[in-house]
Parts: sequence; structure tokens; C-alpha cells
Amino acid sequence: MIGCYDFCGHYEWTFDWLERTGGHDLVKAYWNEAINQDSQIHARNLILAEGFDGMAKYWGHTLTEESPDLGFKITKEADVFRVDMHDCPSKGFLIKNGLEQYGDYCDHCIGWIGPLMKDAGFVIDHEHNHCGQCWWEMRPATATGGHSEVGAVSGEHDVRLRPDWASEGKKLDGFVKATDPDAKLPRT
Amino acid sequence: MNPSLEDRPSELPYRDTKPQGAPDFYFATNATFRFLLKRFGREGWTRYLEELGRGYYAPINRRWREGGLPVVARYWRDFFAAEPGGKVDVEEKSDRVVIEVRECPLIKHLRSGDRAIVKEFCHHCSILGQARASEAGLTMRLHGGNGSCRHTYAEESAGLPPQDPNDIKEAHL
Repeated sequence: MIGCYDFCGHYEWTFDWLERTGGHDLVKAYWNEAINQDSQIHARNLILAEGFDGMAKYWGHTLTEESPDLGFKITKEADVFRVDMHDCPSKGFLIKNGLEQYGDYCDHCIGWIGPLMKDAGFVIDHEHNHCGQCWWEMRPATATGGHSEVGAVSGEHDVRLRPDWASEGKKLDGFVKATDPDAKLPRT
Repeated sequence: MNPSLEDRPSELPYRDTKPQGAPDFYFATNATFRFLLKRFGREGWTRYLEELGRGYYAPINRRWREGGLPVVARYWRDFFAAEPGGKVDVEEKSDRVVIEVRECPLIKHLRSGDRAIVKEFCHHCSILGQARASEAGLTMRLHGGNGSCRHTYAEESAGLPPQDPNDIKEAHL
């Protein structure tokens, strides 16, 4: 039986299997069709129906279930929904157990959340540091301008305030007003 | 026996900080199977499971090969202790380990979430289990499914009959 205790391990292994079998497009199709439109249909229905309120309900439940130590902060304002992830339970599991088959595991999140947000009328600003920390800002697709200044939305909980956020050797990957994992910015 | 009461190191090679997994991940396993079956058919899905069994589970297979049936029994006790919602008994006999799944945690959660379960779902335990057992020099057979079943991991000398596909039930809500 395939278990849920080590789900992130065989999930990550599956990304690599899909890429070896059908290339990057197959991995993207998997994130969209299997995860966004099937596995996470409960998240999809909530967010399509309720927007920011749906995001708060979904991530409030699922992050608490996956991360009982609450290594995250959710901030909902009138024009932005923000998540600061300080201790990602998913990437953290892989790091702790030395599991790395696929090039950038963290891309799976925007891989399924991106198409969902596109359908729900939102765009995403996002960065991850490949070490279990990331931040997300969802805004209506009509939003213009950049992402928030450090601390402006989530205050002291802003993950970018961590001394280890972008410490030496860490490579940040970023997205601006994106809904597609292929919209990743070139690393500077 | 409640595995958490046993005074020994866990047989699970990959450890989390929480004692049990998040059951909503079962939705993703079911969705992954649906995606693979749609894209590649039964043959491709089988190939995925066999490669998963030989690849991802290689550290466990090695432990089974080195430690034999006692390790297999301890592994499955630890495994089901970390899966939320199941009712499972693991019995070690002289030539086999029998895992009686009285209530499958996966099928139970898919049903409680009102998820359409791929009908081939229960065959994954057989395909994956046989691939893993083979790597460990063992044989595996499955009987039942759709919420309750019996897994048998045995030494070759036990002479288990070939797996009868008709012994495995289709899954449904």
C-alpha cells in the first residue's frame, strides 16, 4: 500500500518518473489535471466560490493538518491573500530524509495552484528558497504593480525577514503575477 | 499489538516529525492513479508501480532481504501505525507474514471524502507489493479489497499459489 505518512517522498519520486517518461509537459499536465482538478477539488471549489475567504478556509485547514507546529502565517487583507511559510512540512520531509529526485520539488505548488488561481481570477507573486521557506501573494488578476515590501503585509511574520531566507548559497526562485510554473524568473 | 508501545527503532526509512500522515494525501494517490491510467492505460500504470516498488522503496526492500520476515512484520506494524484511520492486524508465522486489513485507511478516507475511486485501486497493493517482495526474495499475494483485504508476504519455500486477479475486488464508493 502507498501510504500518506511519507507521501511527499513518493510524490517527489513520481515527478521524476513522469519527466523521464513524458518530459516536462507531462509533469505540468499531472500537476494541473491530477492535483488541481482532481485531488484538490475541495480547494478548487472553495476558492472558485469564495476567493480570499476560500483560500483562508483551505490553507487554514490543510496547513494545520500537514504542519501541526504551525510553521506558517496566513494574512488576508482586502486586496491580497498572503502565506508566509517558515517550515514547509513537505519540503522539510524531503530535506530531513535526503530525498531529491526531481529538479525543483517546490515548483509543484505553483504547478497546481497557478492554474487554479488563473481559473479563479487571481495572479501570484511568489518566491521559494528551496530550504522549506517561501511566500505567496495572491491578488485579483487585474492587479498591477509589484509585490509587497518586506513586512508590509505580514509584519514580523514575513519570511523574508529571516536571517537565513537568502543567506549565502541559497538560490531564490521567483514568480511575478504568474499562474504558470514556466513563468519562473531568471535567477539573478 | 500497538506498535507505538514497542520499545525498538522504527522500520520506516523515511521519518516525519508528526506521528501520522495527513489523510488528504490519499486523494492525491487516487488522482495520480486516475491520471496514469488515463494517459498510459493499465500497462503503463503497472510499469509505474513496479518501478516505484523497485526504486523509491529500495531501502525497505533491502532491509526485508537482510532481515527476513521479522523485519517485514515490524515494518507493516510501523507502517499502519503511521497511517490514520485503519484497523489492521499483522501476524508473523514461520514462513509468512499475514496482514489482515479489517478497515483500509485509504478506501475509508476516499469514501468519507466522497471521491470517485478508480476501480483498479486495490490492485496497486498487489502490483507494488509483488515488485517489492521480489526485490527482497519473497512472494506477495493479495486477497480481497474494496475496504478490507489480506496481504501475505512469504518465503519462496511457502509455495504460495500464483496471484489470481479475480481474488482482488474492484474498488468503489
